[in-house]
Amino acid sequence: MRAFVAGFGLELRIVRAAPDALIPLVTAPVFALIFLSIVRESGRPDLQADALMAPVLMTLWWIALQNAGNMITGDRWQALLEPLLATPASLASVLLGRIVALTCLGLVSFLEVWAIGELVYGVSIPFEHPVALGLTLLVTALATAGVSVAFAAVFVLTRNAYTFTNSLSYPLYLLGGVLVPVAILPGWIQPVSSVIFMSWSADLLRASLKPSPIDDLWQRLGMVVLLGAISFLIGRALLFHVMQRMRAKGELAAA
Amino acid sequence: MTALATTVNVMHHAFRAGLADYRAIFTWKSWLAGWMVRVIAQVAFFALLGERIGDDQKTFYLLVGNSILVAALTGVFSLNMTTAERWAGTLPLLVASPSSPIIVFSARGSYLAVDGALSALAALFIAGPMFGMDLPWPRVVAVVPLTALVALASYCFGTFLAGIVFRFRSINSLVVLTTHVSLMAACGVNVPLSYYPDALEWFSRVLPVTNGLLAIRGVLDGADPATILGDAALEAVVAVGWMTLALASFNQLASRGRRDGSLDYGA
Repeated sequence: MRAFVAGFGLELRIVRAAPDALIPLVTAPVFALIFLSIVRESGRPDLQADALMAPVLMTLWWIALQNAGNMITGDRWQALLEPLLATPASLASVLLGRIVALTCLGLVSFLEVWAIGELVYGVSIPFEHPVALGLTLLVTALATAGVSVAFAAVFVLTRNAYTFTNSLSYPLYLLGGVLVPVAILPGWIQPVSSVIFMSWSADLLRASLKPSPIDDLWQRLGMVVLLGAISFLIGRALLFHVMQRMRAKGELAAA
Repeated sequence: MTALATTVNVMHHAFRAGLADYRAIFTWKSWLAGWMVRVIAQVAFFALLGERIGDDQKTFYLLVGNSILVAALTGVFSLNMTTAERWAGTLPLLVASPSSPIIVFSARGSYLAVDGALSALAALFIAGPMFGMDLPWPRVVAVVPLTALVALASYCFGTFLAGIVFRFRSINSLVVLTTHVSLMAACGVNVPLSYYPDALEWFSRVLPVTNGLLAIRGVLDGADPATILGDAALEAVVAVGWMTLALASFNQLASRGRRDGSLDYGA
């Protein structure tokens, strides 16, 4: 837990000094305007709330994935990886803390899309189930960080993490039903979507904006947490093995 | 060696260096399994919104717009080159050499225009049939050069922006991403130009993508050839305009960097 808190604090200080990690916050309102313009121009105002929620999920994933991809590589280039591994703290916990700090900041996108919707089109977020909405955003931020740790471990093995971070954005938005419910996807893809935490998050977010009661709220929230936790544990095990291998082969230093 | 031969020689080597860069990022396998999967997912993501809206015409509109946008997004990546040179420590050397930096940069990143056009066409010809879109043969062949024109215009625009980033490198990533979403929002990719306020519609006409995309939509919809050629000509004018601006500004910006010592790695 101390490693997690230390990682969280470290990332906040890094972002304060170099806020590049938060650039997706600049694009979130533009995506909201794009999605809103599509549904409004098509005469489907009933989809406006969904159009506002999609950029929030996209921003969370984008911030987490881009930075998870670069975190270990960046530490390696700055010769920080060796001292970091020499400490008794778990690298996975430090990483989780760092990425959770970013995903928490990524939640600012919710306020951005709310504001831009109001300002440009006079469209507000319908707070039909505010507690469910808040809880869904919170567990989504945590699960996103958990999954990103797993990806961070995989990225270390690649010769160019950029190739993968750049390639994993839209496939996940699609499979995660970020803008269009998974039910619209072809039947053979749907089982894949059901093991992606984002599909549960996206469905819950949409449900929390509709007046009808939300079915199985706690089970669905639990599923998001469970999938995020499983991913984190896989990532932790992967990271351990990857670091062991790099230590054994003397590959920790970038040079 | 004549000045022209020297320039061609520099461009040839710069192009080869660019290709080597690209090969360091992608292999054929990672290009197909990574990049192309992402591109098709991106196009399908928007096309599915059309399906959800329940309008086939909207689905096809989004599919065509977002396929062609891929050419622009890749072309605009050229503005990353100055930052890449800086990280590699070669930017001061490049500026100190007798060749103009714009010649090197314009040739070095030109593979991006080729990659952009190929990616966009692959997206259109794979995602189109997936969503049941009719690609009228042989008219659809005209889409190939038009897509190449969009990629080229976007590349010229990206080269101009690279000159700006030359001076303000800390905003490189910000410029790349905001340019991407701005082109997506303002160029008639997702909604017709008539949906925008007049001022934005006029502004979008000087951006790459807008006119070329209108020409491509015209080809697919069976529009009058004169209209298609008019839009294509406008896209070409936009390409020439951005490259002219790049030529006019790039060397001056580089000279300023040389004067105030802001070109090296630590600046």
